[in-house]
Amino acid sequence: MGQKITIEPVTRVEGHGKVTIHLDNEGKIEQTRLHIVEFRGFERFVQGRPYWEMPVLVQRLCGICPVSHHLAAAKALDVIVGAGTGEGLTPTGEKMRRLMHYGQMFQSHSLHFFHLASPDLLFGIDSDPLKRNVIGVALEYKDLAVQGVMMRKYGQEVIKATAGKKIHGTGAIPGGINKHLTEEERDYLLHGNEYMNIDKMIGWAQDALEFFKEYHKKNTAVIDGFAEFPSSYLSLVRKDGALDLYHGVLRAVDTEGKKILHDVDYQEYNKYIDEEVKSWSYMKFPYLKEIGKTNGWYSVGPLARLNTADFIDTPLAQKEFEEFRSYNNGKPSNRPMHAHWARLIEILHSAEKIKQLLNDPDLMEGELVTKGTKKYEGVGLIEAPRGTLFHHYKIGENDMITMANLIVSTTNNNQPMNIAVNQVAVKVMTGKKEITEGMMNAVEVAIRAYDPCLSCATHALGKMPLEFEIYNASEQLIERKYRG
Amino acid sequence: MSQFVRFTIDGTECMASRGQYLVDAARENGVFIPTLCNYPGVKPKGSCRICTVKVNGKLMTACTTPVAEGMNIENESADINELRKSIIELLFVEGNHFCPACEKSGNCELQALAYRFRMMVPRFPFQFPNRAVDASHPRIIKDHNRCILCKRCIRVITDESGRSIFAYRKRSASVEVVVDPKLGKQLTEDLAQKAMDVCPVGSILVKEKGFHVPIGERKYDKVPIGSDIENMQSTKI
Amino acid sequence: MSKPIVATTSLAGCFGCHMSVLDIDEKILELIELVEFNKSPIDDIKKFTKKCDIGLIEGGCCNSENVHVLKEFREHCRILVAVGECAIMGGLPAMRNGIPIEECFNEAYLNGPTVVGNDAGIIPNDPELPMILDRVYPCHEIVKIDYFLPGCPPRADLIWEALVALVTGDEMKLPYEVVKFD
Repeated sequence: MGQKITIEPVTRVEGHGKVTIHLDNEGKIEQTRLHIVEFRGFERFVQGRPYWEMPVLVQRLCGICPVSHHLAAAKALDVIVGAGTGEGLTPTGEKMRRLMHYGQMFQSHSLHFFHLASPDLLFGIDSDPLKRNVIGVALEYKDLAVQGVMMRKYGQEVIKATAGKKIHGTGAIPGGINKHLTEEERDYLLHGNEYMNIDKMIGWAQDALEFFKEYHKKNTAVIDGFAEFPSSYLSLVRKDGALDLYHGVLRAVDTEGKKILHDVDYQEYNKYIDEEVKSWSYMKFPYLKEIGKTNGWYSVGPLARLNTADFIDTPLAQKEFEEFRSYNNGKPSNRPMHAHWARLIEILHSAEKIKQLLNDPDLMEGELVTKGTKKYEGVGLIEAPRGTLFHHYKIGENDMITMANLIVSTTNNNQPMNIAVNQVAVKVMTGKKEITEGMMNAVEVAIRAYDPCLSCATHALGKMPLEFEIYNASEQLIERKYRG
Repeated sequence: MSQFVRFTIDGTECMASRGQYLVDAARENGVFIPTLCNYPGVKPKGSCRICTVKVNGKLMTACTTPVAEGMNIENESADINELRKSIIELLFVEGNHFCPACEKSGNCELQALAYRFRMMVPRFPFQFPNRAVDASHPRIIKDHNRCILCKRCIRVITDESGRSIFAYRKRSASVEVVVDPKLGKQLTEDLAQKAMDVCPVGSILVKEKGFHVPIGERKYDKVPIGSDIENMQSTKI
Repeated sequence: MSKPIVATTSLAGCFGCHMSVLDIDEKILELIELVEFNKSPIDDIKKFTKKCDIGLIEGGCCNSENVHVLKEFREHCRILVAVGECAIMGGLPAMRNGIPIEECFNEAYLNGPTVVGNDAGIIPNDPELPMILDRVYPCHEIVKIDYFLPGCPPRADLIWEALVALVTGDEMKLPYEVVKFD
């Protein structure tokens, strides 16, 4: 008899997932799987709702990066109301949305680095699980914890100023935005107090990068050698090849950096991308059509973005980008743990962008919304903190949604995460008599590098060969299910 | 006979014009009695019962009861408020009120009353009824999930000859408020907007307009429903 | 005296409520002085290691696993708090309550414009996956819930006030602005 290891739930990630690892008698890994265990059916229940509700409705897919869904839906609806794709909005509309988006990138990346991932770096992968969390960090590295908390707060405050609320706001509407930035909001974000200060945030972003680079130097093997495997990478880039998190064209490169998707218009995304359904996960497996199911998978996210982009258009982040690229000899980095590095460069880039935008008068006055000739189909793409996010809607003559297709960032990373899980399991568990907690955490560390948002991924329901009954608090049977 | 009458609300001496309905008489005295089906300018219906008060110890609807000399009205008592709260809770479980993604959130009177009465959760089981959304009219969407059958739109939105543009359809538990198929064309842009504004919930939505008022600037974001009346300098005569 | 112990979980939610807990910002440092955390997605305690005082539940029940976890929380926590609209009334996922589950599956795995290759008509059904229920259940329809904090998500101040009140035994002070359903 072999052995089955189950890691459930995967913790310090956002959402619900579990890992199963099957070992044979000799302790060889037979099979590893990251199962996504939820399904919420958004594609179906948004049908028959008015299109303008989408940005507010679908952001409830995810409370960690609601802004991504909010904006991706709004961008798809921009197309539907005839405002065009990206370039069509008024300066105020476009810039307010960008400010919201960089605010979210800043908060989400800070959350991931400080609250979720840093315990593995600070305490070690096989350290005491009772301590290995943000609270442990706060007790032993208070300054770092304060920094993480205040950076996340800053990003959340940017979101509140643009969307009215830190989580699940309403700012973006089809064709634009519903408010200007007030002078009071701008001043608060520029230099409100010691912590509400954009220069402080830029400084802290640089400090975090220094911290990582120092750690990297001391722990090169952990960062470079952990679950390394070749992958293709996909992201949006600006037309001129610059890193752009809000709008651009779709590019993919192979493991050597050669373009395999040539800066294409994302309105035609389904000419290039398909999804495979597997019986053991509610999350689908996307791939590039031209290459096919087996090898067409790709990675998305911070690492993918820095692997596909040619340069960054803010000076401090560009300098860091150059260092990152030269460390990897100008080629894509195939080291999942480098995602932490890339994420920190993006935090810096976002802070620089926020500063630029806060000083832009367009945010404070000008037309908010623009519309043109109505269409009945639209695609919205955005680089969410965790990678490329696809929203695709069709509407009927009566303005109601007739079709919704969502490929979320984490779904794009489904295959890479599964490969990373396998790599680590094979490396740390093969032939071991006893599977320790630390080994299992190593598997989770590989998953965490992708900062997966399993909440997002579970938008899409199951049956089991079992009978399942639910009883309420007074022991009454309220639902009985069989797998048919 | 005097034009004015004297009465008390929760023990406080009040004065109002003879024949005024209790909700209006109370308002003039700076007292808020919650309403849902009631709407200024049209005949009161007394159907939602949220305005229930005790008049000389007896439960009555304040929107349909004219004020009279010497009435003792109980409005802000624990009993009455509990009764009102349970009506709100029943309305919440009876339909599908998904506040988070509703365009009317922040401006919705049902929601605002729930806030005022501090409803944290309805005590009754959610029904999750299967209801349709009717988007067939070119200007508006009628979302039956959210309709509380207050009849405000039927009473207020009329064409030039006074005919109601909205109407009841079906009966009993499946009754719905719809745009009258014959008069639907009379629903002008202005009337459509008015219908949306008159609707106390999010059941009538003007097409292609939504979420234009930022969070923080909506009617009930910062102040409870009725506070405008309570903060008004009492207009005692 | 030992600190009160808090456990948290997200069922069929979006993690927004957990994020709203983090939105208490600098008060997080106060919170960790005030309470001890047990099973929670923010730490690596995957199974209850002791009896807890307060359990915070985000999300309603949409699958068999959610029901299992919720009952486990009821068993291990003295007080259960339903945090947010999903826990209280199913939230937006309950918008599927009128729709047959097969239609939801078909839309996601068969009809989507980017699943053209699924000729075999695969719909996930592995025994490792929990079973999806016909409808989404509010938590208090499955177990007894002691307190409810509405909002999507509940405002950070509401969560903070409620936690402090539960820990100290003081009455909850809830300003008008903090109790919202959106």
